[in-house]
Order: sequence, then structure tokens, then C-alpha cells
Amino acid sequence: MTKRPLIGKILLYTAVLALVFWTIAPYLWLVISSLSFKIDLVTVPLKWIPTRLTFENFKGLFFDNGEVTFNTGLFIKALINSTIISLSTMLISLPIGILASYAATRIKFKGNRLVLLAGLMAQMVPPIILVIPLYVILRYFDLLDKHLGLILVDVSICLPLIIWLMRGYFSSIPADLEDAARIDGASRLMALVRIVLPLAGPGLVSVMIFAFISSWNEYLFAFVFTNAAAKTLPVLIGEFSTKLGLEYLKIAAAGVLASLPPVLLALIFQRHIISGLTSGSVK
Amino acid sequence: MKHRKQRRTLEGQENTLGWVFSAPALFAILIIVLIPLLRSFAQSFQQLDLARPAGNGWIGLGNYFALLKDQRFLNSLWITVRFSLISVLLELLLGLSIALLLNNNFKGRGFVRGLMILPWAMPSIVNAAMWKWIFNADYGALNAFLTQVGLMSAYKVWLSDPFWANALLIMANVWKEAPFTAIMLLAALQTIPTHLYEAGRVDGANGWQRFSRITLPLLMPVMLMVSTLQLIWGFQTFELITVITGGGPFSSTEMVALRVYATTFRSLSFGYGSAMAYLVFLVILIPVIFYTRESYKRIIDY
Amino acid sequence: MRKIFAIVFCFVLVLSACAVPAATPAPAEPTKAVEQPAQPAAGGSITVIFPKHEADIKGAYEARIRQFEKESGITVNLIQSDWDSVANRVTPELATKGSAYDVVEFDNGWIAQWCGAGWTQPLDEYLPVDYSKGMIPGLVNLFSCPDGKVHGVVWNNDTRFFYYNAAKLEQAGFAQPPATWDELVSQSKEAIGKGVIKFGMAPSWNQEWSLGNEFHFWTYVFGGNLVDDKGCVVLDKDPNTLKAVQFMMDVLKDGTADPAGLTYNQAASQDIFLKGDSLFLPQGIAGLFSYVKDPAISKVQDQIKTGLVPATASGTSAALTLPEAYAIPIGSKNKEAAAKFIVYMTSKETNKYLAEQIGVLPIWTDLFSDPDLTGLYPYWKDFQAQLSTARGLSKITWYSDFVDLTNAELHKALAGGQTAQEALDNMAKQLAKFNCVP
Repeated sequence: MTKRPLIGKILLYTAVLALVFWTIAPYLWLVISSLSFKIDLVTVPLKWIPTRLTFENFKGLFFDNGEVTFNTGLFIKALINSTIISLSTMLISLPIGILASYAATRIKFKGNRLVLLAGLMAQMVPPIILVIPLYVILRYFDLLDKHLGLILVDVSICLPLIIWLMRGYFSSIPADLEDAARIDGASRLMALVRIVLPLAGPGLVSVMIFAFISSWNEYLFAFVFTNAAAKTLPVLIGEFSTKLGLEYLKIAAAGVLASLPPVLLALIFQRHIISGLTSGSVK
Repeated sequence: MKHRKQRRTLEGQENTLGWVFSAPALFAILIIVLIPLLRSFAQSFQQLDLARPAGNGWIGLGNYFALLKDQRFLNSLWITVRFSLISVLLELLLGLSIALLLNNNFKGRGFVRGLMILPWAMPSIVNAAMWKWIFNADYGALNAFLTQVGLMSAYKVWLSDPFWANALLIMANVWKEAPFTAIMLLAALQTIPTHLYEAGRVDGANGWQRFSRITLPLLMPVMLMVSTLQLIWGFQTFELITVITGGGPFSSTEMVALRVYATTFRSLSFGYGSAMAYLVFLVILIPVIFYTRESYKRIIDY
Repeated sequence: MRKIFAIVFCFVLVLSACAVPAATPAPAEPTKAVEQPAQPAAGGSITVIFPKHEADIKGAYEARIRQFEKESGITVNLIQSDWDSVANRVTPELATKGSAYDVVEFDNGWIAQWCGAGWTQPLDEYLPVDYSKGMIPGLVNLFSCPDGKVHGVVWNNDTRFFYYNAAKLEQAGFAQPPATWDELVSQSKEAIGKGVIKFGMAPSWNQEWSLGNEFHFWTYVFGGNLVDDKGCVVLDKDPNTLKAVQFMMDVLKDGTADPAGLTYNQAASQDIFLKGDSLFLPQGIAGLFSYVKDPAISKVQDQIKTGLVPATASGTSAALTLPEAYAIPIGSKNKEAAAKFIVYMTSKETNKYLAEQIGVLPIWTDLFSDPDLTGLYPYWKDFQAQLSTARGLSKITWYSDFVDLTNAELHKALAGGQTAQEALDNMAKQLAKFNCVP
């Protein structure tokens, strides 16, 4: 890397700071809001650093007031549900998607285009129109309000994305390596597992994370297909409102917590995301 | 003779293998999605008003013809197209800038990269509620910030002005979606071999020329793919609009997804709503088909 | 890399194993055993879904339901969330004639629509005779279908009342709340001029469902009509309706009303009133005083009083009531048990209990003069005078379309994009295909 002149360095760090500010500022405001009293937040002029803090909004998530026992543990339960469903979606859709993506990219067969376009078709229709027919199907198989039901739906939403993304990484790996292996007698499957995947490994990780996030944040189908038992986090958060409007502070508190698991996942694997997405380039 | 037979079986084998590999994915996608698609498509040719069942029945293209004359629907289609196109463009510009920025070496690079995920990791309902709170006219953070910094002298009612309502909604959407573009482009950037740049520098190319002649063409495939996906997602935007403006002021931010929801879930007119959904599908299909043709060509060219 | 996958995979397996029992549709059982249903399903079990009452911060409804479980032996799977979620949840189930729910929320805005769709069970055979004798008559008859039968029993008497900031009003030099709308405007102008208050009122006129409520309210208080009993559109020909819309537009322009009201929902309007920036709250909820007293959200603890909704020069006051009822879906498989639930939860005893606990407005006429309750809520006598003027939303099968279409035109007029008469004419034009459809 060529040495940067000082002015270049200053510009670089300023840009980075601006970027961080742009990304973080709204979230920071969310955090501050979740720790404030509503009356302080609606006061004008607005004080950015509140003079008094409260944990009531967070407490309200885990322990509701008074003798009511109904909401206790609902947040934790939703958290667990979301984790189960997102992790399962990720782990199930990945192998299936990889196989299909590899086939669509590398193997010349008549179903090439079909595989690529099939799932994408479904994403182009406003999903609300699929809700009721899908509801009937899931109800018929007794999959409503069960983890498996939502996992199946999330997997089928995720798959097209995985197929398209992995296609990008696969196509940047030269075919010669695989051909060499196959000449040596390896089957397609072995070539995939032993050669291609390790090379695309880190690309794999980034797709993994995207699969997790897309399931974690999915709202519409989670809302319709889960109820008391399998309710996920976004659905629970969406219920924090009264007849008059959204309960902003409760949503803020829950939102602060709900945004963390994907970020933690990303922080853990971020080395792999970038270096992974890069080692698609085997030279 | 033998040769041709061998080749045919090899091709046949390849064909079967391809299907075998794809079967689970196709199964999952088609079973979950195909039947609902077909059902709702069939419904689009019916009059299906649950609240007034007496008039229900098949009416062929009646719904579609009515939709083409439905000013409100056409308006929402225009608003959606405009919203999505501008969003995608901004996400591309912002994403590219962020990716170029993060491609450099600086302290804390790893941390910032992980941090980038934050807007994208936030559940969309939280994102919508947060921005609604920020845009509030009497006590929101946006007004507070702009007045305290001196850019404005008095609080402004942003969301009652059609231009600003649309602009702010796009801003909120771009804030949330840009990280995806950034990360995808950053990855692509890092696959570009550095010797290309060195060769360029040796040839006397300046920074801008290196960017436009080397970087941009190599990034193009990823940029196209990401933009297509985000265009599709932009069309389906629902919670953001519902929570922040409800489609107002006077329907100037009313996107197609809101119309479909209101028609089906509120007015219980499922025939009309289904037709709406499939018209939208047709509209998105055009750029998507264009893109898949392009990208398919590229793969063949390799 | 492989190690991480392996760990994560095992983690998921373990979680799934734990989740399998939870994956069967189980009620959200309370973890703190306060009122555990001790009986096994001797009387069967029912699934009930309705929104949380806006004043129910204590969980009083749930406590009462657990009491019902003990006394009747029927297990109740309770699903309580916000109004929108309940509406969206029940629609797919009812539209596909499902049997997942035994008691559902039945909002006053849905009555004609659901009757037309045939989604609810007539309750006459399941309710005791003369069951509703003593309930507020307007509420009883409201939830009936064209077949003449009762399909819902009210559980939430959500009538809205007129509140004002008495302290600030006095500061501005007025001892009495306004009796007419003209007075309200002049009082507001005076108070704003003296710097006592920021706005006369902060209306909730965002383009959403509740704007339909507002349209009805203002039309009613000006003595106008929107739709007649046969479902024919009259709003464009009624001069009082025109006056109402004109008033709404004028107050936004002359500063009486907060222009940001075009972007506010009811919660935001309430917030502004509670922080002392608006003088009047024409449509406050019945349980507002419990919010007023909460220092975490209110700065106006001792300043609020309630009065009669101002009248037009012709003299009649009016108020909007938005009641919610319990109904039994036609597909339910436990209708007797469901009916028992409804009878219990809307009984006078339950009503009194809930009124004592969280201040819900009674459904039974006597409770308004019950000494225990009037001791707790002295302002109810002010409410009683208003109740006789309360009117509900238009009862038409196309109510959702009505709200959808009128909202857009009304909002345009309020934002200054068209005149009041143009708005009404446009509304009538777009509603033409529904005209005189019941």
C-alpha cells in the first residue's frame, strides 16, 4: 500500500467518522429513548443527553406491572423462538441452496433457468396476497403456530437469495480446478465439497449471515403464521401499541435488544465476510 | 458411433445430476409458493367481495380492466416505481462510497465493517417506529437537531409536505438498506487483483481513470445483481410507509403494497386485490427479465 | 470453521429439542403462578382473542379471566395484543371459516361487513333471556345484523369525551369551558395570543383508519350526516357536513389547531395535551385521568377537567362512541363454552370489578350511579350527560372502502389541496358504486 500523505489521512478518517455517525446516530437515539421518560423526550427544546434515566421500559419487557403474569417471559420466549427459527432456516436452506446454485452455475442442464427464476418469481408478488392461501395450506398440515411451519416458509423465501448470491461466488472460481479433480476420478459432488466450497468458504459465511438476518427480521409471514407458541421477536415488537398508536418507548427498548444478535453474529464472522468474499478470487 | 453414444449419455448424466442437485430447492420453493401463487392468480379473475358475497363469481379480465382505470392504483404504482428507483440509485451510490471507503486500511476497520450491519439488522418495525419518532413535527429529533445546529429557525412539519414526506421515507429506507449494497460491493472490490491497478498506474492513468476503467467494469455484475434485488424489495415496502405516514399526506406516499393490503384485508375484496398484486408482478418482471438476460449472457461469455 | 458449524449445529439441535414441547399450540402460560387454572379441562377449552383495553396497565382483564377459569372449569387460551394485530390475525382465520378462535373481538367498524360475510354466530340461542336488560340500550342494539339477531355483546364502552386544561384556561382569563365551537376558537386565540398555550388543540388527522372516526365526530357535532340508514351517500348534499369540513380546515389555518395535526395519530395528540401544549382534547378516552396522573408521561397533573363537547349554534352536543364487542365465529367448535365466557365477562359483577380496578366505562346503566364507583370517579357524572348524545360509526358493509376513499379526499382538503365542497363531491363520486348498497 502506498504511503498516504497527511491530508489524505485526515480526509480518510473524517469520512470514516462521518460514516460511523450516519450509521450509528439513529440507533444511538433509539438507545437513549429507551432509557428515558416519555415526558422528557417530548419536551422542547430537546436534551440529547437526558438528565434522568430509567429502566422502566426494559423492565416492562420482562416483567409487566402489577399482578399480571401474562406478559412475563413473553420477550424471552420470542427471543428463543426467533433464534430457533433463524438458525434452523439458515442451516436448512444453506445446503439445499448450495446444491441448486452449483447446479445452476456449473452444470449444463435444461432446468438451469428455471432454478434461477423460480424463487425470484415468488418474491416479485406483494407477499400479502400469498398470505391467505398459504395460511390454508399450513393449517391443513397443522403447521400453524409451530416452529416448523415458519421455518418452511422462511426457507423458501431464503432459497432464491442464496442461489443468486452463491452463484456470484461460484462463477468467480475457475472451472479448471474442478475439471482437474474430475479427471482424476472425483464425482461432481466430491468436487463441490472438496474443492469449490472451501474456496468459496468465506463467501458461504456471508450468505449464512444474510440468511439468518432475513429470517430474523421477517415480519409478515411470521405474524400470520405464529400466534402464542411460536411468536417471533418482530411480531412481538409489532404488538407494542394501544388503540391510539405505537408505544414508542417499549418498541425502542425491545428494538435495542433485538438488533444485537445479528450484529454480534456479524462482528464474530466479519473477518470471514470480507476475506471470504474476496477469496472467491483464486489466482 | 461409440463416441456419440458416450457423449449423449454424458449429457444425459449431466442433465440428471443437475435435476438431482436442484430438486430439494425446487421442491421447497414450488410447493410452498406455487400453490398460493396459482390460487391467488385464479382469484384475480373473480369478483370476490367477502362482505357482499351475492355478487361473487368469475369475471374474466374485469378486475384488470378496472385497475387500469383506477386512478388511485395507478398513482400508487407511480409512487412505488419512483420510490424504488430513487432508493436503489441512492443505495448504489452510498453503498459504493462506503465500500470504497472501507476498502482502505485504517485503524478499527474490522469493527466498522461489523458495525455496518446495524441498520440492516434492525427489525423493520423498529426502524419504522424510530423514524416516525424522529420525524415528529412537535418534538422529533430531526427538528431538534436542525434547529440546534442552526440550519433551520423553526420546527417544520415534514410529513405534511408531499415532497418531504417522500424524501424522508426514501432516506429512512436507504439508511436501512445501504449496508447490504456496501458489503456486497466491498467483497467484490476485494476480489479485484491489485496488479491491475499497478499496471494502470504504470501506464499513467490517474485515480479517476483507474476507477472508471478498471474498478467499475469489474464491479458491474455485482452492482446489477444487488440493484435488481433491492428494486424487488423496494416494491414490497409496506411497514415503513404504513407506520410513518399511513400513505399520506393525501395519498402522496401511498405505495402499492398499502393498496393491496387495504383492498384485501380491510375491504375484503380479494378478487380485485389479487389482480392488483399480479399487475405489480408484471411491472417488476420487466427489469428482472432484462437483468437475468444480461447476467446470463455474461456467464456464457466467461 | 468446521468447529463453529458443529457447535452451532449442536446448539440448534438442543434448542429444537427444547422447543418441541413448546411447538405444540400451547397457551402463553404465566410463569409466576398467581392465578393458575387449577382445574383440568373439565369444561373444555376455548381460545379467546381481543385487544388489550387501553386503560388496562394492570392486567385486570386477564386476572378476571383466570377467575372465570376457576369458577367454570373452562380453560381459556388468551391472546391479547394491540387492535391492529387482532384485526389482522382474525381476518385470515374467519375468511377461511376456520375454527381456531371461539371468542373474537368484534369492533363497531366491522359490524355490517362481518354480517354481510356471515362470519359470526347469532347469539340469541346462547345467551340467557333478557340478558342485556340494564345495559345501555344503544350499545345492545348496535351489534346486530340485518337478520335482526344479536351477534356481539359489548365489552368495551369506548366513548370519547371532551377534556380541557382548566388551569391554563383560567390563566387566559376564562372560568368556563366553551359552550360552542366559536367560543372554543376565540378562547384558543386569546390564550395563544397571551402566550399561555401553544395550540387550542392538536388534532389526530393523519391519513389512517382513525381519520374516519374524526370525520364522523366532526360531522356529528355540527349536526350533519354522512350516510343515511339505507346506505345512501348524503355527505355531499348536507350543509352541516360541509360546515364541519370547513371548520376542520379553518382551525388548521387560523392557528387554533396545530398544523402538525395532519401527521398525528391519537397517541401523539394525547401526548401533546398531556405535556400541556394544547388547551382542548375533544376526543379523549374515558380512562384519560389515569394517564394524567402519571408523572412519566404527563405534566398537567391537576390541570385537567372534563366538560360537554361544545355545540354548534343550534345547540346539540354530540360525541363519538367506538364500542367493541365479543362475538363467536361461525366455525367455532365450542360455542356453549364461548357463550359462557361472554356472559361472565360482560356481567354486571365483572363490569364493576373492572371499573374499580382500572376505571373502564360501564356498560350497565346502574353502575353510573353506583356509590363505590362514583366515589372513585367523580367525573363520571360529567360523562353521563354526554353519553345520551353518543353516536356510532356508519353501519355499512362497505365501511372500510368508505374510510379508504374519504380519508384521501378529506386529507387533501385539510392540507389545502381542494375546497371542502370539492372534497365532498369527490367523495360522493368515488363512493358512487356503493351508493344505497346496505
